[in-house]
Formats: sequence, C-alpha cells, structure tokens
Amino acid sequence: MGNSVNASGANQKSNRMKYVRIGILLVVVLIFVFIADITVNSYVRRILNLCAIYTILGLSMNLVNGFTGLFSLGQAGFMAVGAYCVAVFTVPVESRAAMFYLVPQNPAIANLELPFVVALLLGGFVSAFFAFLIGFPVLRLKGDYLAIATLGFSEIIRIVFTNTQTITNGALGIKGIPTINRLWWTFGIAILVVIFMFLLINSTYGRAFKAIREDEIAAEAMGISLFKHKVLSFTISGFLAGIGGGLFAALLGTVDPKQFYFTLTYNFLLIIVLGGMGSISGTIISAFIVTAGLEWLRLLDEPHAIFGWNVPLFRPGLRMVVFSILLMAIVLFWSRGLMGNQELSWEYVKKVPDKVRNAFRIKSAKGGAAK
Amino acid sequence: MKRILAASVAAVLAIGTLAGCGSKATNDTSGAGSADGDVIKIGIFEPLTGANAAGGQLEVEGMMLANEMRPEVLGKKVVLVQADNKSDKAEATTAAARLIEKEKVACILGSWGSSLSIAAGDLVKTNKVPAIGASCTNPLVTQGNDYYFRVCFIDTDQGRIVANYCADNFGAKKVAVIQEVSNDYSTGLVKIFSENFKAKGGEIIDGGSYQTNDTDFSGILANLKSSNPDAIFAPGNYTESAMIIKQARAQGITAPFIGCDTWETGPFIEVGGSDVEGAIMTTFFDDKNPVNDEGKKFVEAYNKKYPDKQGNIDSVAALGYDAYMLALDAIERAGSTDGTAVRDAIAATKDFQGATGAITINETGDADKDVAIIKTVKDGKFTFLDTVKMK
Repeated sequence: MGNSVNASGANQKSNRMKYVRIGILLVVVLIFVFIADITVNSYVRRILNLCAIYTILGLSMNLVNGFTGLFSLGQAGFMAVGAYCVAVFTVPVESRAAMFYLVPQNPAIANLELPFVVALLLGGFVSAFFAFLIGFPVLRLKGDYLAIATLGFSEIIRIVFTNTQTITNGALGIKGIPTINRLWWTFGIAILVVIFMFLLINSTYGRAFKAIREDEIAAEAMGISLFKHKVLSFTISGFLAGIGGGLFAALLGTVDPKQFYFTLTYNFLLIIVLGGMGSISGTIISAFIVTAGLEWLRLLDEPHAIFGWNVPLFRPGLRMVVFSILLMAIVLFWSRGLMGNQELSWEYVKKVPDKVRNAFRIKSAKGGAAK
Repeated sequence: MKRILAASVAAVLAIGTLAGCGSKATNDTSGAGSADGDVIKIGIFEPLTGANAAGGQLEVEGMMLANEMRPEVLGKKVVLVQADNKSDKAEATTAAARLIEKEKVACILGSWGSSLSIAAGDLVKTNKVPAIGASCTNPLVTQGNDYYFRVCFIDTDQGRIVANYCADNFGAKKVAVIQEVSNDYSTGLVKIFSENFKAKGGEIIDGGSYQTNDTDFSGILANLKSSNPDAIFAPGNYTESAMIIKQARAQGITAPFIGCDTWETGPFIEVGGSDVEGAIMTTFFDDKNPVNDEGKKFVEAYNKKYPDKQGNIDSVAALGYDAYMLALDAIERAGSTDGTAVRDAIAATKDFQGATGAITINETGDADKDVAIIKTVKDGKFTFLDTVKMK
C-alpha cells in the first residue's frame, strides 16, 4: 500500500509528461470511438455500448468496494432506480395506455415525458439520494453485515418496483424506451466518468477513501471523518450506478423488475474482482474483456467440424463452461485481479517485460491486450 | 505446482484459440454457402443456459425435430443457427443482433420467457427481420411491433377460456384468485380472468398475492379459508403453485385449484404429490389426443426421436415445432427470404395447420387458435379432460 503512495510521489516529477500522455490517450480513444461509430455494424456497436456501460457500472462499484473498502452489494438496486427513471419518463406518451393495460398509469406521470438527458440525470440524482438515505443507517455496519444490508436494499427496490404497478407497470415491465444507437452517449459518459474517477481518487477525498480502506482506526486517528467519507463514496457510487442503469435501460429499450435480480450485481463484482479491487484501469480492461470475451466465446456454442467429423463437444452452453474455467485460471494466477490496485501507467507498462520474463507467455498476451 | 497450473492454463487457452480457428473455417464455408444462395438460415433465439434453460431446451427440441421433418424450402437447405440468450436481457439483445447482423438469418424463432423476446423486439423491428415466438404469452411482445409474431395464444385468451370454463362447465359462482405479483404472466391472467368471470355474473374474491420464491403461504390461505370459495384460480410458477396447493390441503381447504399452462410440467406433480390430484389447467397441446393430422405426425416423430421421453411431450416443444413450420410456410408463400416479404406472409397466415391446432395470425400478430386443451391431474399424471372451442 505504501507502494501506491510512493508511485504518486514519483509521478509528480514527470507531471508534464503524464498530462501529455493522457492527452494523447484521450485523443486516440476519441478517434477510435469516432471511427467505430461510423464503421461497425449494429452487432459490434451493441457490444461496444455494453462494454462502456459496464465500465461505468464497474467503476461505480469499485469506488465503494475497491477504493473505500466497503463490501456493498446494492448495485442492482441503484441501477434499477436509474433505469426506471429513464424508462418511466422517456417512453412516448401515446404508447403508454396500451402498455399499462392491467392497471392504468398514475395520471400524475402518465403525460409527463422528459428528454433523455434530463431523465438520465434525474435517475442519477434519485439513485444518489437513495444511496445517501440508506447510507446513514447502513454504513455503520461493517464487512458481511454491510453486504447483507445493501443486498437487502437492492431486493427491496426490486420488490417495490414490482408492486407499484401504477408507476412501473409491475411485473409486465416497460418497453419502447427510445434507444441509443450511437456510441457517443455511452463512450462519452464512460470517458467522463473515468476522468472524474481519476481526479477523485487523486484528490484529498480519494486519499481519505483509501486510508479508510487500509485501516479505519488509523484513518480516524489522522483526523478523517469515517462516516462523512463513507457516505460520500456511497452517494457518488449511487449516482454513477443510476446513470449506468439509465444508459442500460436506453440501450435495451425495455426494463422489468426481474432484470434487477441481485444476481445482476455479481456481474459487476466479477468485473471489479477480475480487474483488481481499487484499480480504475483494471476495471476498464476487465469490463471489456468480460463483455467482449463472453461474446467472442460464442463460437464455442456453434457446431464445429474437424476434418469432417462433427465434434459433439461444441454445443450451446460450452462457452459458459470455458468462461468459468478461464475465470478460475485468472483468479489463480492473478489473485488480486489483473491489475491489483495499480493503475496502467507508463511506468507499469515499462515493467511488463520483466514480469514476462518471470512468468509465462500468457502474461505477455494479457499485457498486450491491456494496452 | 505453479508451473503445472500455468501449463494447464496455457493448454486451455491454446484449445480456445484452436477452436477459434476451427470456427473461422466453418464460418467461411457457411458464409460462402449463403452467398451462393443454397442455404436459408433460421435463427433460434432461446435461453440455453441460465434460469430459463429447461424451457428453452424443450422449444429447441421441437424446432430441431421440425427441421428434420422439413429440411428444405424454396429448394434450399434450411440451417438452424442457435444463439443462447443466457436468460439475460442484455445477452438477449446481443444474441439477437448477432443472428441478424452476423448470421443474416431470414427469420428468428423464440424465445421462452417473454421479457427476453421483448428485449429483442426493437432489433427485429428496426432491422426488418421477422420473429416468431413459440410460448411467450405476454401481450407486450407483439404490441406495437409489426415484426414479432407468436404461435401460442396470449394471456388474454387464456384468462377468458378459464373464466368461461369455470362458469359454464364447472358451475362455480365464487372463485378466489391468488396472483404471483412478480410474474407478468400471473398478474395478466388473474386480471383478465377476473374481468371475464365477473362479466359472467360470478363473484371474485381477492385471495392475495405472493412473490416468486416464496415458500410459506399460510397467511394468504388462512384468509382464503374463511371466504369458502367454489374454486381457486392461482396461475403462476409450478413450484410455488404446487406448494400453495399442498399447504391449502393441509389447512383443510378442499376447493379445486385451477391454473394455466405453466403447471403442466413434471416437477408440479413431484412437488405437489397426491395433493395436486384434481388440479385443472388449460394448455396448448395434448400428446394423447392430437387435434389434427399434423399433431399426430408430430407426436409420432417426437416419440421416435426422443424415445426416453415416451408419453410426456411438453406443450412448448409442440409450439417450437409450430413456430418453425409456420416460418417455413411463410417463406414458401413469400417466395423469397426478404424480411418484409416474409413478414407480410406471416401476417397473412390463415388456418395454418400446426401440431397445436389451426393457427390464424390476427392484426396484432398473435395467434387465433381454434382449440384449447383442459387437463387435470389424475393418478399422478396429466390427463386430458376436455377440449374447448375458442371464440
């Protein structure tokens, strides 16, 4: 952990070079998005959109779990709040009556239609508000107890949405949400979130979060208000989860309560554990690897013939088996995630050849992908 | 130790890469095939892993069987392309996009689980690739979507049939309804049933509601006992439903239980045991009493292909079969695989003879069928009780 403090100290010497590198990286990413936006077909576009959204949601969860050291499992609940805000307020008014055929929509909101940006931000703020609200009682808990309480919260949200039929259409769900097809929404917001996270983590607040993660008692002795910082971290995470959830709803074009089952949270837990708890670049890398990799592995689900012999192994479901094996392998070799709690910096990349020499070729493949 | 592990991981990765290469090869040949135009691809969009996998698998069985029985249309071979939607909405959209963009299928079949179909709805509409659902009964699937169709009747019809059956054949005056509030299927059915039963002059008692995965229903059942209904309408997941019936019998409630097609599955009887004897349900298909020649043909072929399932053909397999047959029929009538032409042909379907009865596609894209089946549980088996003419 002293490691990261040293690293940030060393970084200050080459601050200017760092900004230049970040600038170049940003331009490269923007050019990539621009080119991808006009060239790729809707299938690849959808996967890229999902990657970007999962990045946002992964970062949101990493802020609490990885940087502040609070084991929270409420992600699906916060996402649901954001997703439903977008769903309820952006569906065209004229298509609502037919959809709410069991119980008509509450007249107060039946004719209320908001622009996407407003609904998205509203989702973020409402979600942040809920995070703030439940943060008060819940953040007094630690470890497993906090995990159970936040898990409970996310289930409560889902059950509330199931039962408030006049607002959310209950179990029937809402469809016909105007969808986002371009990459700019998701990637634009993802880039903003990444920049925001870097700034936050390197600010005094970020250092306080990390101090709390390492040792609460020591942090408190240093004059850090535990409660204030925990609630802050939790609220920001709630906001980002709300935004991510809203984008998720707008990408799929439909929401229903079952979608926000607590198992959804584990998708993001997987991403942050795989990428490294407390690493922003790790989360980005693993969000892309998990989403795109799972899609790439679909070729295992298709029938294959080797020299005319149809291999019976290749059938639907095989990709999940292989995916699980790969996960186990990664967890065995990178027990702290792909990046640990380091960031993918120039210094980190320079060290890669040494690491490769010590390990096997597989690592160089991963390092290459990380670039 | 670490070296051994590293070596084994390397082996796994190598196999993965090899598999990648292998697939490239087959993809190329199939791509060339479709370029030559001697293959028509039809996409199977089903949950093959995840929570809904069992249902998805049954539908696929029906589709595969249909593909064996009718492997060609317009003089070209039909190739089924499976895409697993993992019972997950986000995966469902990528799976559908893959079928449309990468595989360039002429038509999509599925999915088990209405919410997955709804998620794909937007894609099939904007890309103008018609889709035929087999057992997705939520009205929202086809609502406002010209490119989504289905071969099953929707919750609205089923609710009406049960209400009529209760009032006319059963002579019930007072029916209690219990709904599984987190299940779109159950809430829809209860609502439609209540409306129709009241219109027939019957009385509806609100028996309360429960959540999926609940296990204790003593609260709602205690209330119910005092109201003493003639029958109880409790559509929902088979496990919860079977447990409700078990607990109701334990509390001394003797009124018969009525449900819908989800009950017709082995685990319903396994969970409920002797307590579910006499439970009544509507369904799409009965393998002992096929309603037409196509049905007989299907039962014969199914029993031959899957001998281990002898005497137990699930309705959804028959619906999967019908979805495939309808798609081929429409492609034949359209004379091409052009999305819009096939869509128009599906929409114009009239009295198509499927294994589950004659199917006419109405203006909303749903199937108007001529018959529904009523079954009951007798001696631990689902037994044919009655056929109800629709309309």
